[in-house]
Amino acid sequence: MANKNTKECIIIGGGPAGLTAGLYASRAGLKSLLIERGIFGGQIVNSSLVENYPGFPDGISGSELSSLMHQQADKYGLETQNAEVIKVNRGEFYYNVFTTEETFETLSVIITCGSEYRKLTIPGEEKFLGYGVSYCATCDGFLFRDREVAVVGGGDTAITDALELTRHVKKVYVIHRRDQLRASQILQQRAFTEPKLDFIWNTVVEEIKGGKVVKELKLYDLKTENHFSLQVSGLFVAIGLVPNTQYFANVIKLDKTGYIYVDEMMATSTPGIFAAGDIRRNSLRQVAASVGDGATAAMSTFKYVQEVEDKISILNHSHRR
Amino acid sequence: MSKVVEITDQNFKEEVLNSDLPTEVDFWAPWCGPCRMVSPIYDKLSEEYDGRFKFCKLNVDENQQTAMKYQIMSIPMQMYFVDGQKINEILGAVPELIIRNMVESIFKDFPTDERGRLRVILNSWIQHNKEYSKKFSRWMQKTDNVEDDAIYHSILQAVQEMEKANDNFSRLLIELQ
Repeated sequence: MANKNTKECIIIGGGPAGLTAGLYASRAGLKSLLIERGIFGGQIVNSSLVENYPGFPDGISGSELSSLMHQQADKYGLETQNAEVIKVNRGEFYYNVFTTEETFETLSVIITCGSEYRKLTIPGEEKFLGYGVSYCATCDGFLFRDREVAVVGGGDTAITDALELTRHVKKVYVIHRRDQLRASQILQQRAFTEPKLDFIWNTVVEEIKGGKVVKELKLYDLKTENHFSLQVSGLFVAIGLVPNTQYFANVIKLDKTGYIYVDEMMATSTPGIFAAGDIRRNSLRQVAASVGDGATAAMSTFKYVQEVEDKISILNHSHRR
Repeated sequence: MSKVVEITDQNFKEEVLNSDLPTEVDFWAPWCGPCRMVSPIYDKLSEEYDGRFKFCKLNVDENQQTAMKYQIMSIPMQMYFVDGQKINEILGAVPELIIRNMVESIFKDFPTDERGRLRVILNSWIQHNKEYSKKFSRWMQKTDNVEDDAIYHSILQAVQEMEKANDNFSRLLIELQ
């Protein structure tokens, strides 16, 4: 265990689940490393006020909560690194974790990469990111004051975003591929009575156009099979999330939507690999649930690592004889 | 102590566009969560690069004129300026390493010492001339009977003199390095 690139536990992803797993693993004495590709905190960073995380009766901002979690894990010696994991390979006792920077060897892995916004994957989406295309209405809505914008999607997030946007903008179009919403009844009611909100049913966005910033959407009506245009300054995409599991499909079992199968101990289909938080199947997608998952995963990992280390030391013994 | 300069619509031109140093502007707002993740990074870098690189922040709520002018539609938006020109940007909250790499790459392309700046000027001058020499020779290849016309002849001569001067420039640039 002398090599600096040899660990007992590698945690991939620095949101609430990962930071909690890191805290528990470090406190349990595991030689742990947390690898995060972006900033620490995960999706809660976008949340201006987290009101349902116990212990903070007046709420706490997502960025503050995540930096407190980071500090706490740091205090107990969790090592962290900024890099992106691109592959995990299984060896006899060790896993090899390949990042954009270097390669590690570890006895166990905890996957806590969460999920990210699902993209439309249409022309213009990437080009206008930050210049009219957004995945976060609460973050960017204010910057579209007195303009006309569109929201794509029909679920709770899309309708919540659309209602939030009506506070800032002149007009919001909700573009939905079906003829009814999936959003909760109460949200639907509020949406249908909101005068600034208009619905474009049975329609998909085919292309986003503009100069430096978004000017127009090319739309397609699935029912009438008509192509038409809509002049807007912004497009808010709210069509759900995708789990960040593309690099793990070779080592663990995923469900058909890409989420990770785990048991109640957060163990995946592969011994030594655990998962926690939004990335696992049937996650509640709440900070309180993710930190619980993270703690469970770390303790299961601790048990696993002890067993493997015992096995390795027995093997070394018999080799020596 | 953070050396990040607070920018307003009123002092943007003076502090950013007329700045002698390469300058970064962090467009932010108090209600923006990710903004709070990047501002400590800039506080830290502003101390480290004090006197060599300028770091600024502009509240888009209170300074809508500048935010509109630069078409800020997502924050945190971090724009980088050199000699009054916007040369690059970082969108969203990113790790310190990415910001550091941006700052260092700007340093390399836009040195702040006198000799360094002269090198940059000479180098872009040489590249510019080379590009037009190429364009000119391509034009020559496609054109017939140029030599018969006096004006073309004079131009050709001037081009040759310019190319000689450019070679001289290249030699001086090497000496300067």
